[in-house]
Amino acid sequence: MSRTHDHAPIQESEEISEFEVLETAIRELSISHGLFSAEDHRRFTEWAESIGPAGGSRLVAKAWVDPEFKERLLADGTEACKEVGIDWNNPTGEGTPSDYTFFYVLENTPKVHNVIVCTLCSCYPRPVLGHSPAWYRTPNYRRRMVRRPREVLAEFGLYLPPDVEVRVHDSNQKSRFMVMPMRPEGTEGWSEEQLAAIVTRDTMIGVAVPKVDWTASSAPSEALSSPSRGH
Amino acid sequence: MSKYQVGDRVTVRDAPTMFHTRTQAFTRGRTGVVVEHRPEWVIPEDEAWGRDNGRTERFYVVRFNQRDLWADYTGSDSDTLESEFSERWLMPAKEETK
Amino acid sequence: MSSSNRYDVLMHMLDHIDAQAKPALSDMDREPARWESSMQATCECLTWRGSWSNKDRRQAEDELGETLYAEFPHNSRQALVAAHALLDKGFITQDELSSKMKEVRERFERV
Repeated sequence: MSRTHDHAPIQESEEISEFEVLETAIRELSISHGLFSAEDHRRFTEWAESIGPAGGSRLVAKAWVDPEFKERLLADGTEACKEVGIDWNNPTGEGTPSDYTFFYVLENTPKVHNVIVCTLCSCYPRPVLGHSPAWYRTPNYRRRMVRRPREVLAEFGLYLPPDVEVRVHDSNQKSRFMVMPMRPEGTEGWSEEQLAAIVTRDTMIGVAVPKVDWTASSAPSEALSSPSRGH
Repeated sequence: MSKYQVGDRVTVRDAPTMFHTRTQAFTRGRTGVVVEHRPEWVIPEDEAWGRDNGRTERFYVVRFNQRDLWADYTGSDSDTLESEFSERWLMPAKEETK
Repeated sequence: MSSSNRYDVLMHMLDHIDAQAKPALSDMDREPARWESSMQATCECLTWRGSWSNKDRRQAEDELGETLYAEFPHNSRQALVAAHALLDKGFITQDELSSKMKEVRERFERV
């Protein structure tokens, strides 16, 4: 780390920013005052590093190939998650203060297309989808998804016929939701792994549907299709 | 015994709030239908995560037609919005006049 | 309820921010920086162990983020609001926070 001899404004991307200093100070003071322990904090950072949308993709792929699992998943989302190694009680034993332990999967059908939003604070089903995309947290998305859902979906490239019910779920309380998209045509005989690869994060939020011509690893950049880019 | 059953039409109260609430402004005074029961929880106004000394209440999933929520809704007539409400925020649907 | 106290130790941080260094929209989908994830974990721990309820935290982030800390970069709000809450509640003092930040800064620069 080179010393700077002048006091030019700090560039966040290259040097340690003042906020990084603030974060460290808050954490160390909190620990020294006994507000929580270093072990508590480590548990949360490790948990945060362990989550991602792969868990959600596995749930959907498994539900697509196993009708009895699908029934269990729709009946009790929290419990069914354990079958793919996701425990909503982590990392405290009682869940996280932000995510709770009330998880529901919303099944898309030819007549109903579900999409999730949290107008009040951007809650998101982190244990199954990982961290929310920045666009999900913007006032742009949160305000517009409840008022003009079809416009927002169109910005993501998703158009639904008028006879399909677009059902917006505003997660204003303790429930957390994930969308189970419909399995696309042309995937007959696919393995769970192949199916999971086309179930991307955006399909489980409800702003996209799975496509058979690309996988999660080679999808068009999801950042480009976000409404926050001002298209 | 739950006050409201699945299928009941309910109206969200338009109560003044002296403190933070999780009942969205855009649902106040709006009528929808109960589609599901939720577990009893500590009500948000008493919320202190991990504690058991708050008042608990039944919660309901209410589904609204978007046309009933937004006067200028530009989507389809079949579009809906669902959200969750504690029992104290609901009342039986007002008589609708045609 | 959070106060609208202006804490010098926090407000003075505006002086250290390069006004041009606002993140580009294309940065919006980047992975959180390590310190951002660490801050999130700190907030969860403060709630878990009973110092700051979820309700109060969300409310403070909304209210203070849009008022007192509106001029700060968006990704810094969680840290500012958390510090603000700890100061409001008397868990820490401004002097303590200033000293600790000075110590941390020096420690980082010593590498």
